[in-house]
Amino acid sequence: MTNKEKLNLLEELLDIGKDTLSEDKELKNLSEWDSMAAIAVMAMFDDEFGKIITSDEIRGFVTVKDIMDKME
Amino acid sequence: MAVGILNNVEIKGIAAAVPDNERKSEEYNDIFGEESVQKFIKMTGIKKRYVALEEQCASDLCYAAAKKLLNKLAWEPSSIDALILITQTPDYAIPATACVLQHRLGLSEDCIAFDVNLGCSAYVYGIWLAATMINTQGINRVLLLVGDTSNYGINQNDSATAMIFGDGGSATALERTEGKNLKYFLKTKGSGFKHIIVPAGHARTRSKTNLESSEYLLTMNGSDIFTFSITDIPRTLKSFMSQYNIDKDDVDMYVFHQANLFILKHLSKKLGIPMEKVAVSIDRYGNTSGESIPLTLVDALGNEQSKEPIKLLMCGFGVGLSWGGIYLEMDRSVCLPMIYTNDYFTGG
Repeated sequence: MTNKEKLNLLEELLDIGKDTLSEDKELKNLSEWDSMAAIAVMAMFDDEFGKIITSDEIRGFVTVKDIMDKME
Repeated sequence: MAVGILNNVEIKGIAAAVPDNERKSEEYNDIFGEESVQKFIKMTGIKKRYVALEEQCASDLCYAAAKKLLNKLAWEPSSIDALILITQTPDYAIPATACVLQHRLGLSEDCIAFDVNLGCSAYVYGIWLAATMINTQGINRVLLLVGDTSNYGINQNDSATAMIFGDGGSATALERTEGKNLKYFLKTKGSGFKHIIVPAGHARTRSKTNLESSEYLLTMNGSDIFTFSITDIPRTLKSFMSQYNIDKDDVDMYVFHQANLFILKHLSKKLGIPMEKVAVSIDRYGNTSGESIPLTLVDALGNEQSKEPIKLLMCGFGVGLSWGGIYLEMDRSVCLPMIYTNDYFTGG
């Protein structure tokens, strides 16, 4: 999956306009990033990558890129 | 391992009651903002739920359900050998609310009555416990009451919990019946006890002073619960089904704890079962804690007249962490229609 595809997937998941999310965006400055978004991301990892992401890992994500790095 | 078959037991009737006090999620637009509320509805599926009046307890809702059920079955109160109440919102710290209900329902002094403290897994534990008791000499009829008024003790400003819970109470009548059986598995993972907790108000904090008022309210760690829901639950359910050769296509209806719609959909995907077979009540009743399984059954089957059997796989999971499953066959007509009531006990 290319970086663009990863970003588009996250945009879709978080209900953000296509091609508006950047890798270096800090999650704390992203209004769409909340507890429900975190759960949607956890489900996406399970569905798309067969990976279980723990809540500690979720808490460890600082930027969008941190999430993308695990998407493989 | 707590997996097995319990023989000679049958569910004869199920009734569920909710407060006659509907709350729509959209009523929270002013507190959390319309966008957040819409997002909440999309994720959890909860459009509305029923909230108990200030004076109304879980026991009142269970009482209403039990009264109607005993009436429908024409069971004399004196014929009930045991009453089990499973709730996390009892009437008093002491005594057990089951004793109050034994009195209110006019059951015999020979009736066993006790409370159990469990939440989302309450119904499957309760069915197992009632069935186990029926396999004891001298116990033929058990009344299992499961209910909670989870909105008591909720932080109204916490969007994670303020809109999610519905209140309700249920009554299930079980009786010794030759030739009928059920299969069960039960599990516990106490390491996750802090994931859903009301920290204060009981003995552990009795010596502490100046506790924050929020410590008396429910806190829920959604992401840890979600991990548990998508790992332990499908894994153990699959293993249970495989152990007893339960073909997923043979199950007529899957009745899971109504945690939220997102979890229900994810579970159905992980188990490879179509959503059409997964009963859903959360959209109209919210997460009703331990009562969610009987309430969902009543919602789905409450107006059925057919005596045709239905094969059910139930799974309750959550606070504890505690979970389990029950596989059984029952008549489609055992559920009464939903009861809506604002009655409460005035003798306490």
